Formats: sequence, C-alpha cells, structure tokens
Amino acid sequence: MSPLRLRSWTGRTGDGEDELAETPAKHDDAAGAGGSLALSVRNLRTVYELGHATVQAVRDVSFDLRHTERLGVVGESGSGKSALALSILGLLEPPGRVAAGEVVLNGRNIMGLSERRLSSIRGREIALILQDPMSALDPVKTIGAQLQQAIAVHNPQLRRSALRRRAVELLGEVDISHAERRLDDYPHQYSGGMRQRVAIAMALANNPKVLIADEPTTALDVTTQAQVLSLLDRLVDEHRAAVILITHNLGIVSEFCDSVSVMYAGRLVESSSCEHIFMRPTHPYSEALLRCVPNPERLVEGPLPAIPGFPPDLSALPAGCTFASRCSVGRELAICHERVPSRQVVQGPVGDASVECHFARERAAGAPR
Amino acid sequence: MSSGPLTLAANDGIVAEMPAVATRRGGLRWLLSAVLGDRRLAVPALVLTAMLLFAIIAPLVWGQSADAQNLVASLQAPSLAHPMGTDQFGRDIFARVAEGARISLLDGTLIAVVGALVGGLIGLVAGTIAGASDTVLMRVMDAILAFPPLILAMAVTVGLGVGLRTAAIGSTIVLIPWYARLVRSDAIRIRSLPFIEAAHAIGASRKRIIFRHVVPHVMPTLAIQISAGFAYAVLLLAGLSFLGLGAQIPTPEWGAMITDGLTYSLTGQWWVSVFPGVALLTTVTAASMLSDRLRDVLDPRSSGRRG
Amino acid sequence: MSGVVSRRLLGSLGAIFGASIIAFVIMRVLPGNPARLILGPLAPRSTVHALNAQLGLYKPIYVQYWRYISHFFQGQWGYSYSEGAQVRTLIGERVPATIELALFAFLITMLASVGLALLVTYRRRPIADRIVRGIAYLGFGTPPFFVSLILLIVFFSILKILPGPEGRLGAQVLPPPAVTHLYTVDALLAGEPGKFLEALEHLVLPGLALGMANFAFLVRLLRANLLEVSREPFITVARGKGLRRWTAFRRHALPNAFLPTLTAGGLVLGEFLAGSVLVEKVFNWPGVGSLVYEAILKQDFSVVQTFVLLSAVMFVLVNLAVDLLYAVIDPRVRVKSVTTA
Repeated sequence: MSPLRLRSWTGRTGDGEDELAETPAKHDDAAGAGGSLALSVRNLRTVYELGHATVQAVRDVSFDLRHTERLGVVGESGSGKSALALSILGLLEPPGRVAAGEVVLNGRNIMGLSERRLSSIRGREIALILQDPMSALDPVKTIGAQLQQAIAVHNPQLRRSALRRRAVELLGEVDISHAERRLDDYPHQYSGGMRQRVAIAMALANNPKVLIADEPTTALDVTTQAQVLSLLDRLVDEHRAAVILITHNLGIVSEFCDSVSVMYAGRLVESSSCEHIFMRPTHPYSEALLRCVPNPERLVEGPLPAIPGFPPDLSALPAGCTFASRCSVGRELAICHERVPSRQVVQGPVGDASVECHFARERAAGAPR
Repeated sequence: MSSGPLTLAANDGIVAEMPAVATRRGGLRWLLSAVLGDRRLAVPALVLTAMLLFAIIAPLVWGQSADAQNLVASLQAPSLAHPMGTDQFGRDIFARVAEGARISLLDGTLIAVVGALVGGLIGLVAGTIAGASDTVLMRVMDAILAFPPLILAMAVTVGLGVGLRTAAIGSTIVLIPWYARLVRSDAIRIRSLPFIEAAHAIGASRKRIIFRHVVPHVMPTLAIQISAGFAYAVLLLAGLSFLGLGAQIPTPEWGAMITDGLTYSLTGQWWVSVFPGVALLTTVTAASMLSDRLRDVLDPRSSGRRG
Repeated sequence: MSGVVSRRLLGSLGAIFGASIIAFVIMRVLPGNPARLILGPLAPRSTVHALNAQLGLYKPIYVQYWRYISHFFQGQWGYSYSEGAQVRTLIGERVPATIELALFAFLITMLASVGLALLVTYRRRPIADRIVRGIAYLGFGTPPFFVSLILLIVFFSILKILPGPEGRLGAQVLPPPAVTHLYTVDALLAGEPGKFLEALEHLVLPGLALGMANFAFLVRLLRANLLEVSREPFITVARGKGLRRWTAFRRHALPNAFLPTLTAGGLVLGEFLAGSVLVEKVFNWPGVGSLVYEAILKQDFSVVQTFVLLSAVMFVLVNLAVDLLYAVIDPRVRVKSVTTA
C-alpha cells in the first residue's frame, strides 16, 4: 500500500480496525528498551539574534526518544522544527544559538561540547538527513567522494580501496543500480529520489543510533516519496536506529512513526502516541492540522479546510496561549489570551498525551472527533 | 536573507492558506518612496548632494579664481586664506577643486545619461525585436567589450584628438554596451512574462507593448545603472586626464591636478594632489555605494551579489 | 566537448575581428592623418606623405584593413619615431617588468581577498565585515594612480620604510643575471638574497596600487559567494557527517564559492592592463605601461595603437581560457558539454 495514505485511525472502516489492532506492535521492541533512552532533550531554548529583534525559534522544549523509537515532529514551516533539529546536532549557524538546555545522547550531555568532540559524535552516533536533495549534496564533488568522506571521517585507518568498496556497498544498500559505475557521477546526474537515497546512505554510513530526518521527502514527487520512505523504513529497521522525523505531512507520520509531537510557535503543544493523536487530537491546533489533511473519505464534505490566520511573530509573542487567536475553542476566551497554558498529562482512549491547553482534560475526555 | 531557518514567519500553504500578496514593483512613485524610505540610501545620497552643492556654490562665493596665478604664494600649505593650499603657480587649490567638481559632476552625468539612453535604446531594440538586428547589434557590443574599458577610451581620445570632449566620447562608448546588455536581458525576460504574452494574445501592438510594459519595467534597472555608470565615467575621465589625454593644462580637472602635483607630493607638498584625489574618491565611492544600495532596495533578489 | 570548444573559439575569433575593426576605424580611419599621428606634430610634411603612402592610405579601405591586420598578427607593429626603434623591440624589452609587477599584484590580491573574505564569512564578525566592505568600496572608488600616490606619501615620504619611485631596483644596484627577466626570481636563482629583497621591496607599493581595484572587486565577489554557499544545506550535511566546521568550509564552501570568481579572470586582466599604464608612470616602473605613457606624451602613437589591439586580443584570449577552464572544472558545465557534443 502507499505509505502516504493516511491510515484511518478513527476506526470507521474495517480496514482501519485491522491496522489499529496490528500497529501498536509495529515496533514493540521500542517499549521493551524503555529503560535507557537514545536521546533526551531537556528545556532546549534556541534564539536567533537579528540585531533589532530576538526570534525565539525553540522555546523550552523537552522530550525523550527511546531506542529504535520513531518520533514524528509535526508543524507548519516556521514553527521551529528545523531549528530544533539543528540545535540538537549543535549545527546552528549565527545569528542562531542555543540559549539554554541539555541534549543527552546515549547518557551524556553533548550540549556545549567543543566542535572537535561534537564532530566525532556527529555522523557516528547521531546523523542528519535534510529536506532538499538538490542542495544537500555538493555539486562539484562526485557522489563517491562525498560518500567516502562520510565513512573516512570516522574511520581514518581505512585505505582508499576499502573506502571505495564500502561506498559501493552503501549505494547498493539504498537500491542504486550499477553502484560501482555511478559512484563517479556528480549529483546533477542523479534524480531527486536517487540523491535523497544517497543522503540516506551517507547518514547511515557509520551506523548511528539516532537519525534526525528533516522533511526527508517533502521535495520529492509523490511516487518517489513513497519509495524513499519505504527504503528509510527498511534501513532504519535494519540499523536499529531511533528516528526523529520532522515533517508537516501527517500522512507520513501515520505511516512511519510510533509517537508524535506537534510543534507550534517553538513549543511542543501536544505529545503522544500516534494512535492517540489520530483518534483524539486533544490540542485544538492538532485537531485543526488533522482536519487539513486531504482524506479521500472526507472529500464529499467539501473544500479542504484551512486554519485561519497566521502563526505568531516569534520575535514578539502574544501573552497567553500562542494559538489563541486562531483557535476554534479559545479565540473569544479571556483565559486563553491572558494565561499561558501549562503542560498537562491527560488520559485519552488510547493512552496518555501531554498537552498544553487550558481545556486539555475536557477535550481528552470528550467525544471522538 | 531569503533561505535557511531565518524565514521563520513564513507559512507553507499546506496546512494553512496564505492570501496572495500582490506588491507592485515599478513606477515612478514606487521608486521615489522606496528611495526616500530607506535609511541606507541616505548617506551616499547626502554625500553626493553635498558635492553637488559644493560644485554649484563654492565657485560663486569663494573669492579666488581657479586660474589666477600668484607665483609669490606658490606651494603654500593649507591655511585660512587657502584651505587646501596653493599649487606650484600659487593657484588656490580649493577654488580649483570646486571648479573640478563642476567638470566631473557635469561630464560624468552627461556621459552616464547619454550612455544609458543610447545603450538602453540599443538593448531595447535588440531585446524586443530580436532576429538579425539583435545579432548585429550585440556583435558590435561584444567587439567594444573586447577592450579593457580604459584602454578603449584611450584609443578613442588618441584617434579623435586629445581633449576633454573626446575623452567624454571615449568614456561614453565604453559605457554603451554595458547598458545595452543589461537592458536587453531585462527586455527579453519581461517579454516572456505571462502578462506580456497575454497582451500579445489580445492583440496589443508591439509599440504599445514596448512603451506600456517593457520600458516602465526596465526603468528601475536603468536608474541604478546610471549612478553606477556615473561613478565609472568620473573615474575614466580622471584616468584619461591623468594620462594627459583628457583635460588639458590649465583646466582644473581632478585627474589632471593629481598629475600636476605628483612630483611635489613626495617632497612634502602633499596637498597639491591629495585634495583633488579625495574629492574624486569621495564622489566615486558615494555614487557606487548609491547604485549598490539602490539595487538592494529595488531588487531584493540580487542583494549582496555583484558582477 | 569539442562542440563547446569550437563555438567558444569562434566567438572569440569574432570578438577579436570586431575589436580589430573598431581599433582600425578609431585609429586609422577617423583621424584625418594617421601618419601625422604616428610621426608627431614636428615631422616634416614630406615624411608624413611618405608614411601615408607606406601605410597604404591611398589604397581602398579593405586593402588598408588587410595590411593593418596582417601586419599586426605578423608582429610588424611599426616603427617608433620618438624612440628610434621597432615597436616590437620596445615592447619586448618592457614586458618582463610589467609581468613581474602584475604577477606580484595578482599574488597579493588573491591572498588578501581570499583571506579577508574567509575571515568575515567564516568567523561572522560584523565589525570586520564592515571594515572589509568599506575597504572594498574605497578600493573601487580610488583610481590606481591616487592609490599609488597615497602609498608613496605614507610609506616613502612619511614612514621611510619602502623605496620611492625609482623603478625595479635602487639606483646603485645592478640587475641579477638574466634568466627569466623577473628580478625576484633571477636573484633567487643567482643565490643573491640581498638583491631578492631589494627587488621585492620595490615591488610592494606598485603591486599594492595595481592590485587595489582587483582586490576590491574580488573580495566583494568572494564574500558574497561564500555567504551564499555557506548557507547551502550541503555544508550542514557535511558537518552532519562529522566534518569539523572549518573542514566543511574548506572542502565544500571554498571550491563552490571560488568557481564563479574564475569568470572574473578577464576583468582582472583588463584592470592590470589599464592599471599598469596608470601605476607604472607614478613609480617610474620600466614596463609596457610607462612605455605607452611616454608614447602618449610624445604623441608617438604607433606604440599606443599596438598596445590597444594587443590588449584586446589578450583580453579576449583570457576570457576564452577562463570559459574553457570553467568547463573543465565545473562538472555541471562539463557534463552538459559532453552530452551536446
């Protein structure tokens, strides 16, 4: 089946029921290894200092990632998702910087390590895949050179021939035919999908246990998206890596992830299992996002709805809940415009969710939507 | 500032819809408000205005003539009576620099404007009519561009006879292909825009399309390039005069004045050459800065790039 | 590949042809009396008449053009009446000095512009960035002869740490044995470090003056390119692989930023050609530039004519070389040209 079709978590169709029953076991070793975390982010705060204004891209974000867990981070562009990814890896360029927080990778805090120490961790323990395969590869270096660089940087003892052999292997692993010959091609000779597969190969070259994929399929056409996603799915399983998948596409989350965090204006406003969010989106923003996903079953209901208004200016955040002015629940309510909602853990029909909304409890207990 | 994580306020339309924001670019009023509304333009514009006022007013109110010799008072250091000192003939350098400002500003403007008009016309014809006239015109432009600019201007003055006027002609010829290429590529780009094709489709005449649509769109580019061309023209003229090909003795042209003072500069009388030089570099720097900033304001896509 | 090469070659030939016609028209047709131009105002009328006949001015214009252009390419550049020598000999004698100066200027220009562009983009120091941009503006707005003057006033007259306008060597110093005719190289070859330093000292100020405009241009171009390239995702990806920031910058940002600056090669050469005329004069540098300047002063235009057309030919050839080099280095162009061949 197409990985992009949104599974029907609402259980309205028989097909959906089957999958619902099957899915929690999808990566049940994730739950089994719950004791030790692959990655833990604590109170991360990232700002861009632009001289005239300070943009708060990530505001006090915390989450845990278990071994082999797949976490989807969902939000509009501009919600701080990419800044979050770069902050975790310590790859922010000025004027951006991490103002506070900890990133605990395999049990040690890597925040504030020197560039030398960090560079020995990047690519080996934690790796990155970026959105745009057109610009993620250096246009004037061969694919082979870039792959071999990824291997060599953490294996300085390897000889050229060994590096080349390993690079051919990696290309083969991501289903690029005639790998030996295509190694000496330049990026522009590859299609978008092939380039993204090369990017995946580079990221997995050193068997990292955490993979951050920032919109890995957004720039691709729909068929290629499906291929790349299923390849990623297979390889992540084989390498037993945990994944943070950053996307604005809820279809991909439903297909690929175990858990999901919804990001809005630099904060994770709702974190839960995939089942929860698709069945009982508790934060009004999550619900609105979900309603915007094209769903074949809902086409009859009329045009695709959109969330009214714009995300707030991250350099001049409003008082109270940042979503209040666009919220179907709290737009008119004084409490939403005055008080910042605190994080609440609520019990939904399929497990817990932690939600930042004044009405989280009522909404979690309410009727399915 | 258009890529990377800095576009934090952008919205991507998949999740929320975004209203189509139509900003009109082009038009004189828009140009004016863009220029006046930008602080970064103020500094170079102010410097150029000051230089212009200096050129107009100083020779009128300053009591001393640019040509009056006074051998008793030769090579005097800057003082109250002679704020920039005197040269080897006792001429007041302040008066000469002011007179030189008139020459440079006037000739520079003339060269830039004539070059822009001729070059713009050539570019417009080549870009809108295409075909054989395009090929011929652009080959001629390529031939001119085959010379290093100053050297072609040099050749023209040598061939037509030395003097300020031929130096100006030489400088204009150098600038023409520069404008022509710019306007041509702009015209070609605009010609292929959907709304021009639509105008074609509804039967608008070529003349109408050129004057109603292409010309107004080319104007901002040309405006920027006139100030860049002005800077270059002033520089070329000074270079030619420095070589003795432009202004002739005793015309107080800045380049010629620098040549004049060369030998004295190294024996301590630095003011003879330095003041005209400072006037020259102030004018050229301000004008090229103005054109750069105009480009940033009028065409945000090209900010930071050059060449 | 060959398709692109031949197209470029043809274009360059066309440009040289066009340039030669322009030079011919400007310097042979437009002036009422080319022989007078060449011989100068003091030459007797009969000599002028004889030279006019010798130049073929009484023949049809296409014959004149053919003579002009074929003589040029055969190296028959005429006779300089003021110097009393063949123009080719004169230029030949002066070329090494100009080449040494231009090479030196090129070297310091490249080092300074790459170094400073890197400094302000890699370290992202806003203040340093402002200073570099300011220098670039001033360098563009200051004519080379004025830069020369200021440098001389500061380093020779006031500080007295560098030699004045006395050419390639001090008055008492003999040139090293001629091998390459570049004094610095020859001095090293002859094992005379003192003479090497002497030659180098004399190169510094004219080199700086000649390189200033190019520096201003290149540092701005490089800075803009580096800023753009350093924001490219492939830099982030390279760092994500485990490359240190500097390594990623050096291996990926620099080559990509540097490639487009190659296209400025023609501009750089043009600046050197024109600049040499302006700068050599001030420093009494015995190169082609000062030869041309002296010829202008003496109204001896056979030298100027040759120099003008020679500059155009070199200018076109360098642009051609840059285009071809670009095609070899940049894989995107390279492969495209392979497929079109």
